[in-house]
Amino acid sequence: MSTDWLSSALVFGLFEVVMYIGMGFLLHMQLGLAGIGNFGVVGFWGLGMYAYGIIYGGHAPSGTDLIIDIPWPFGDPWQAIASVILATLVAGLGGLLIGWIISGMDLDGQLVGTFGFAAIVFLLARSQKGLTGSEGGIGGLDFPYDIGSEKANAMLWLLVASAIVIAIGYYTWRVHRSPYGRLLIATGQNEPLARSLGKPSNLTKLWMFTVTSAGMGLLGAMFAVIVHFLTPLKLGVDVTLAVIVALILGGAARVWGPVIGVLLTVGLFEIVVQLYAPFPDSWYRQAMPVVKQIIYGMSLIVVLMYRPLGILGDMRRDKLMRSIHGD
Amino acid sequence: MLEVRDLRSGYHGVTVIKGLSLEVGNEVFTILGANGAGKTTLLATMARLIPLMGGELLFEGEDISKVPPWESAARGIGYVPQEKGLFPELTVGENLNVGGMIGDRDRQERVDEIYELFPDLAVLEDQLAGTLSGGEGRMLACGRALMQDPKMLLLDEPTAGLSPLYVDMFFESVTKIHETRGVGIVLAEQNATKALEVADRVMVLSLGEAFVIEEAGNLTTEQLKEGYRI
Ligand SMILES: Nc1ncnc2c1ncn2[C@@H]1O[C@H](COP(=O)(O)OP(=O)(O)O)[C@@H](O)[C@H]1O
Ligand SMILES: [Mg+2]
Repeated sequence: MSTDWLSSALVFGLFEVVMYIGMGFLLHMQLGLAGIGNFGVVGFWGLGMYAYGIIYGGHAPSGTDLIIDIPWPFGDPWQAIASVILATLVAGLGGLLIGWIISGMDLDGQLVGTFGFAAIVFLLARSQKGLTGSEGGIGGLDFPYDIGSEKANAMLWLLVASAIVIAIGYYTWRVHRSPYGRLLIATGQNEPLARSLGKPSNLTKLWMFTVTSAGMGLLGAMFAVIVHFLTPLKLGVDVTLAVIVALILGGAARVWGPVIGVLLTVGLFEIVVQLYAPFPDSWYRQAMPVVKQIIYGMSLIVVLMYRPLGILGDMRRDKLMRSIHGD
Repeated sequence: MLEVRDLRSGYHGVTVIKGLSLEVGNEVFTILGANGAGKTTLLATMARLIPLMGGELLFEGEDISKVPPWESAARGIGYVPQEKGLFPELTVGENLNVGGMIGDRDRQERVDEIYELFPDLAVLEDQLAGTLSGGEGRMLACGRALMQDPKMLLLDEPTAGLSPLYVDMFFESVTKIHETRGVGIVLAEQNATKALEVADRVMVLSLGEAFVIEEAGNLTTEQLKEGYRI
């Protein structure tokens, strides 16, 4: 089978779409189900990404090692697999800590708290030269296998990521139908009352935030592998905005909302516009990233003006709650 | 069943309940008192939503002064707050199902019992709880708590602001809940006349203290007036 139509750029675009769908599922559980406002998505994702780079043993572009240099007793792919798992755990720990800090806060407090967390991750990435390589970044992150060409390697990684995102989607779908999900929904709607339902609602919520944050970190670690090279510039607020806008566009309360939303935003930008729109080359390098940020930023403002949780409230009705009757 | 010993509680250092002791068994126990007397504070403390500042809270002989609210619910104390007693974006049926998160009996069986108790709710099964009228909402809040099969039900002013028709209906339901389900009831009320009709015993709460605790039939108008005077 010929795969000429599948350019490296398209593989990368598809990877981004798949990854953002996964992020959308995870934010859907936080915001759509439990009503937790996470404005620091990029922080958890970036924590996983950088943790992977550091743990796997990436090095500064100059070739100097970072402070943390784990003497791996085994090579790839196990080294990469172990690093992905550890990076996921690190992001989960971050989620546990931040989830605990914001647990008593209202929506505004949660947004500020998570945003602050993302800012801290960014600052660490930029300033801790020994740990993160600061502006110089972390390089040396190759695919943990070689099946011939860069493109073939990337395609295989896309398949792995797709499998992971399908698993995340399946987990999300299961959560909707479980008593655990019902308690989350109740907590999101009326937290004081949910405390009196007979199950530990606050622990349930904290656990969900921990698990979903770990999932964001997992996707960040996956991303680290496909880009090979990490810099603080990757930790822009546009990552967070993309997930939020996609989620709200697609319907934050529905399982399929993130899929639709991401296809309409990231898919449109990273694939359709990026690869097939007849713009001059210089546009893509200079104007496009800016245009993208502006559009995401403006969509967010529009959404906030029209009260996201109001919209959420209505959309929540559509499909989500049907599942609540069953077990 | 539910015992309060020298209980003190309140908010941020402001003591509202100032050393209260009482014991409620399998009965209808009414708490009367003027606005601000501390009825809501007392019930929320019993439901473990407000921390104790002093004293003890016991349920079935065990100290529950420090258990989290979900555990007091799991042990059998159902709580219907004065306001916000339902999940507004869930339907009536969903509210009941969520309410029945604990308990061993078949959930649908329990839902059917609630519909039998409050027939109005059955018709509204698929309506959003946030769109219910005041009276319907109170019934749902109460039904939601009953889904937990509680041994003791704390009801905070369930008839405040309702039309007379609903008030009568609600008090009838309270009696029915107590008699047919064997649930002990603590009922905070402003509506003294009606509440006294259904109560076995009554406490008049005044500025966070028990002004009088008496058999409902023995409470005198004088005591009531005195207790309501601040
Ligand atoms: N959240 C709160 N923070 C501080 N004070 C409160 C709070 N809620 C109630 N109070 C005060 O506690 C006292 C008792 O209120 P409450 O228990 O609501 O009385 P009741 O239910 O009998 O009307 C009042 O003086 C009220 O102002
Ligand atoms: Mg009150």
